[in-house]
Amino acid sequence: MFDLLFQGFAIALQPENLLFIFLGVVIGQVVGALPGLGPAAGMALLLPLTFGLEPVTAIMMLAGIMYGGQYGGTLTSVLINVPGEASGVMTALDGHAMARQGRAGAALAIAAIGSFLAGISAVAAVALIAPPLADFGLNFNAPEYFLLAALGIIATGSLGGSPVRSLIAGVMGLMIALIGVDPLTGAPRLSFDMPVLFEGIDFIPVAIGVFGIAEVLSSMERIASVQPIKTRLKDMWLTKADWVTCRLSIVRGGIIGLFVGIMPGAGASVASLLAYLSERKFSKAPEKFGHGAIDGVAAAEAANNSAAHGGLIPMLSLGIPGSASSAVLLAALILHGIRPGPMLMTQEAPLVWGLIASMFIGNIILLVLNLPLAPLFAAILRVPYVYLAPGILAVSLVGAYAATLDMGEVWKCILFGVLGWLMMKFDIPRAPLVLALVLASLMETSLRQSLLLSFGSPMIFVERPISAVLLVAVLIALFLPLIGALRRRRRA
Amino acid sequence: MSKMWSFCGTLAFAAAVAVTAQAQDMRAPEGPIEFTVGAGAGGSPDVIMRTIAQIMNEEGIVENPIVIQNRSGAGHSNAYNHVLGLPGDENTLLTMASPVFTTPIVQGTPSVVDQVTPIAGFIQSELMLLTTPDSPWGSLTDMVTAATAEPGRVRVAGGASGGNDHIATGLIETAAGITLTYIPHESGGAARATFLGGNVELHFATLAEGMEQIAAGTAKPLAILSEVRRSEEALANVPTAKEQGVDVVYTQFWGVAGPAGLDPAVAAWWADKFRKATETQTWQDGLKANMQLGQFYALDEAGAYFKAEQETFRTVLTKIGLAK
Repeated sequence: MFDLLFQGFAIALQPENLLFIFLGVVIGQVVGALPGLGPAAGMALLLPLTFGLEPVTAIMMLAGIMYGGQYGGTLTSVLINVPGEASGVMTALDGHAMARQGRAGAALAIAAIGSFLAGISAVAAVALIAPPLADFGLNFNAPEYFLLAALGIIATGSLGGSPVRSLIAGVMGLMIALIGVDPLTGAPRLSFDMPVLFEGIDFIPVAIGVFGIAEVLSSMERIASVQPIKTRLKDMWLTKADWVTCRLSIVRGGIIGLFVGIMPGAGASVASLLAYLSERKFSKAPEKFGHGAIDGVAAAEAANNSAAHGGLIPMLSLGIPGSASSAVLLAALILHGIRPGPMLMTQEAPLVWGLIASMFIGNIILLVLNLPLAPLFAAILRVPYVYLAPGILAVSLVGAYAATLDMGEVWKCILFGVLGWLMMKFDIPRAPLVLALVLASLMETSLRQSLLLSFGSPMIFVERPISAVLLVAVLIALFLPLIGALRRRRRA
Repeated sequence: MSKMWSFCGTLAFAAAVAVTAQAQDMRAPEGPIEFTVGAGAGGSPDVIMRTIAQIMNEEGIVENPIVIQNRSGAGHSNAYNHVLGLPGDENTLLTMASPVFTTPIVQGTPSVVDQVTPIAGFIQSELMLLTTPDSPWGSLTDMVTAATAEPGRVRVAGGASGGNDHIATGLIETAAGITLTYIPHESGGAARATFLGGNVELHFATLAEGMEQIAAGTAKPLAILSEVRRSEEALANVPTAKEQGVDVVYTQFWGVAGPAGLDPAVAAWWADKFRKATETQTWQDGLKANMQLGQFYALDEAGAYFKAEQETFRTVLTKIGLAK
């Protein structure tokens, strides 16, 4: 095992490979930071350029784009409140609140550290126990995914000040998610024969609109009075107290991320949501969540990076891609003449171990890049908003177009921008809408798959052990707040 | 684009002169080429088109730079609507994969294959029916017996509603007179996870995927859906469905077509280039490694082949109640 890892390092540390790992993570950082153009799209764009390379070099670079993207996505989430990927929504929630308080540098720094520690640990898990973890991941299927998604959707109710307002936003997200092709039968649904609605409404235009564009619109109303965010140098850096608050958040976030990552059906977005919610339970100051809680940022970022790495476990040991970006990685293997599958780890040991070693190195490069640059990136916010706003709009709309090459997406972006602006006016939280949209298709598909698996019997949720445990968690999440409210009322 | 026409015309003349020795008039398109793919990066059609584009450019078969454009989503309709909207365009080719045929049938829109200019069908992939390693069934016949005894109780984890494995399921249901429960997933990978997790009885795989799983002991083969058995040692003892009394032969296939009204000389040029690319050692090695077939159909042959497949799709989709 360690022999193999040493061989892997020997391969990854060759100058040419080091160069391409470096290129990969830098490109990942950039495409991750551009809203709309996520790591999967970036990898697909660069795939043809890797044809001249050795397979192992190509895979190292492409994987670098994949996890580099997780670091890059943090930038836009924190600085301009535009999560470029679903897994960044939770980071935006508290990260951007921190930025408004002048602590963008600290948010970016803890995100980089959290991502690094969780990423490295997830790579260690890939190296040491990938096959058993992959088998464990297979215990999760439709019934478990349904309950996980339900847990997430219920929890969005607690993401704003008032549960009723959060639920309004959540239900709006669910309604938007129903538009488009029925995921199981392929029949068009609520699309009114309009081609633009046929494909349904994707996460990207909604997130860009509801967060980024709405933010710009709302600031423009009071553009004269908006001051650049005051940032003092000492607020740019992490304090000792921050670190103490976040240490265990990173550990917990990393563990949750790893477990969600090894499930082939869930992804980094589910991971970061669950990590954030569990962190609020552990936190000594849960009321700060949503208003700039640094441990919320740490947990969410640790979780999404460890899920991105953990997603390689089913990919390498079973040949099942757990996310869009690991699907591209899988395609790259095939294009380089390597057949992924259960035998990959034994038949292509040098490649697999080279990749694992490269992820240790790549994560170190990303930490070294991101830590010193965090205050620099944060300084962007010192630019007066009058100059920043057009830039945010341009980057947002170009990002929406670039992801699909379809002008329809740009219009959707603008429409959702107006919706987001109205939501801000009426004080309806925006995160539940976006999260419900992301979780809805997982919830719907897996519920219907579960009932197909069980020939229509709802007992499937009770008969499977993991599912039964999750069902209890869902019931607690649903009824505990109610019971609490009743008790308080009786006492009063 | 229209500005380029006169320019193209002059070059076309030169190109036509250069190939007068050929039996058919051929003319090269000018400028960069887009291969439009309806699947996302990493899907089978994407991998196939990237591989052949790489061979065409690297081995000097096609000088024009080729870009693979993934216009994914909505059952490939984003891709084919893009190409259908460019009549006569010489720089865009559509990847013909089964959703290009099935999506119009499911959505009740005019069929795509009747509107495009067929160029080539050049790669096929046979399918294999797998069951779990601990299954009591030793053959397809055993499965049919079980499914006859309890209609609808045998479950198939499939890639997508109306997808290749759904069609294969429908064909087996008809041929054996049984009812199976097909469970669609978001992707082939997700379906495989359901199968490997032991949640269902059946799963379709390509030969190469199936071989991997059989070798790893995570699946047991019941039948291959081909005319004859494979010759490889590992698969020689896997009987065809036909041998086991279920008369189903079904292979996945991929090809390319141009927009409506594509100049026949350009179509012929492309057909020639695809033939040359598939004759290279690199391509042949790839087919062998992935255990795929390389039957080549050009132009009108490809058109007839596509139309015949379209009929199969329509029959099965009508039978399983998906046709509109």
